[in-house]
Amino acid sequence: MSTLRIKRGGKEISVAFDGAGLLTQVLREHGMMIATPCGGKGVCGKCRVRAEGALSAPTARERACLSPEEIAGGTRLACQTVLQGDAVVSVPDASDFMNIQLEGTLPEFPHHPMKGRYGLAADIGTTTLALRLVDLKRRALLKAAAAVNPQNGVAADVIGRIEAALNGEGKMLQALVTREIENTLQSLCADCGISSGEIGPAVMAGNTTMLYLLTGRDPTTLSRAPFAADCLFHLRTDGGALGMRSVAGVNICLPACVGAFVGADIVCGVLASGMCKRKDTAMLVDLGTNGEIALWHGGTLYCCATAAGPAFEGANIRHGAGSVPGAIDSVWVQGGRLAYTTMGGRKPVGICGSGLIDATAAMLKLGLVDETGLMEADEVFISDDIGLTQKDIRSIQLAKGAIAAGIKTICGHVGISAGQIETLYIAGGFGSHISVLNAVAIGLIPRELTGRAAVLGNASLTGAEMMLLNESYVESAAKLAHSAVSVPLGGSAAFAEHYMNSMMFD
Amino acid sequence: MNLFEEISENLQKGNARGVKDLVQQAIDERRPAKEILDEGLLSGMSIIGEKFKNNEIFVPEVLVAARAMNMGAALLKPLLKEAGVKACGKACIGTVKGDLHDIGKNLVKMMMEGKGFEVIDLGTDVAPETFVETAAKENCQIICLSALLTTTMSGMEDVVKAAEAAGIRDKVKIMVGGAPLTDAFCRKIGADAYAPDAASAADKAVEFCSA
Repeated sequence: MSTLRIKRGGKEISVAFDGAGLLTQVLREHGMMIATPCGGKGVCGKCRVRAEGALSAPTARERACLSPEEIAGGTRLACQTVLQGDAVVSVPDASDFMNIQLEGTLPEFPHHPMKGRYGLAADIGTTTLALRLVDLKRRALLKAAAAVNPQNGVAADVIGRIEAALNGEGKMLQALVTREIENTLQSLCADCGISSGEIGPAVMAGNTTMLYLLTGRDPTTLSRAPFAADCLFHLRTDGGALGMRSVAGVNICLPACVGAFVGADIVCGVLASGMCKRKDTAMLVDLGTNGEIALWHGGTLYCCATAAGPAFEGANIRHGAGSVPGAIDSVWVQGGRLAYTTMGGRKPVGICGSGLIDATAAMLKLGLVDETGLMEADEVFISDDIGLTQKDIRSIQLAKGAIAAGIKTICGHVGISAGQIETLYIAGGFGSHISVLNAVAIGLIPRELTGRAAVLGNASLTGAEMMLLNESYVESAAKLAHSAVSVPLGGSAAFAEHYMNSMMFD
Repeated sequence: MNLFEEISENLQKGNARGVKDLVQQAIDERRPAKEILDEGLLSGMSIIGEKFKNNEIFVPEVLVAARAMNMGAALLKPLLKEAGVKACGKACIGTVKGDLHDIGKNLVKMMMEGKGFEVIDLGTDVAPETFVETAAKENCQIICLSALLTTTMSGMEDVVKAAEAAGIRDKVKIMVGGAPLTDAFCRKIGADAYAPDAASAADKAVEFCSA
């Protein structure tokens, strides 16, 4: 057994590992990740770290990527460096180094599971459904699966679906989503060799509209101002009541929502982040269509939602894509040109949220887009046939401007500056990992938060899983949701002013 | 470059401080307020409107340019009043009941002000009666309605009906706009014009008032 000491921003942790291991791999196994935009091929140079101890010699690729001075000074590429024994690694504070919530890797918390052998955690997103099957007694993730929310076929956005429900298609929308959950669950169970009859409880998180549609509730109050939702959930029901015959006996928990625009998915994300256990100030941002923001300050949770639009989920972008195989998920400048990776290394089919953020930052760096967002070319190609147009850049400006303005407005409401936020948690379905540095470069998140951001991935699903494994979280999350303060942005002069100032790239 | 061109250039760049200083300079040089407005501010804003329509510039530039225009216009306002200069038309504008979106509405307002209109902004979530009462009381020639939600755009028809009920329908033109709208919808509810973007809305308004 060898020890790796990890130094970052004045803090140090030690982790143990067996045998020889690739540095990126060992870090990842301990829930930490260095972004490797080139897929660990040793060509992009983004995973630079300082390392010493029992290490492999620098590879030819490292020598090509790093200067002789850097190598002499102990700089290495984490994706090329093999740990052969005890070692120390220092990661610059402002790097793309981030903690991510690995699938199934939960924070430490007491184990008081809901009743039953197995449990289901689900996040019902507007775009995708994500499910985790959990062994409640052994506290182990059996398997996770994702599916497209079939309600997409009716309307891609929340308002379109609310309208359809108001026009008498509510039952159909409910059937679409419940059937897809049942189908996905069936194949999960088959893969794990268990029968769906062995599932006891389920926790289903989602935004407020998705929970209305799941339960077949009339969404009139969600359709117009003052957007006062007449149900904030924190309910128990069963599969039979929702029309899910194959899991009729499953006890389903629908966690509490804060309001029409801040739903159980955000409440679960806040739970997963652990931010409300902190003494200091922290923020969670969900980079989805509604751009929900939760700020924990002085023992109170403040929430708002900005109409960011679905750009970071790939909609409104000509070649936009969700986090699907072949989506361009990272872009960087190499030799004065754009280089990229795709999810799963497949042939590029589109560009997802993390890729959009990277591509915009790279285009700014190369001067292909100016600080007002103006492009000289009609289209800038990233791969042979996937590129960004002027209209795409405008959509990104609107989306990032809305999020940035939301952050500034909620901070202003509470009377703090962005610099007082100790940690920024980023949740959302934008791809495997976003580059915090690039998010800062395009003005999506405030510069002061460089090096203080943690990417959580699907935090809503993790929060739902935590509720399965410790039932008391259902109550504590409901308390938090009910005492949360909603900060309205619609009609706010401060928001309008921040929005105008946040759309530019400067 | 003469002073008016300089005002126009600074406005197009969104340099609010520059516009303010240059307008003040023009006032100090005793140029007529109407000339400063037309040849400096409005001429700059009309270039912005054209570029916006052609997709060369986008919402942020329009917003910053309009902010710069407003800084200059604020200085001119008392002088214009003193000189008895009238606006080219008067309109009230708002987002319909149940809808809180205001960016599109604000853009239309700015573009219309950029054409020399006096625009009364009723804000968001505005009841049909408020539109009609304001138009009657303030002698507006135009009512502008905005909606971004498919669930709220039906509220536009309520405004048309309220204007009929109040007996002012023949005195005002009703213009509608917003992402989910179409020209067909405009005709269906009996409104007078649909505009696909803010610059076109301002052009349409000028047409109505010069007819």
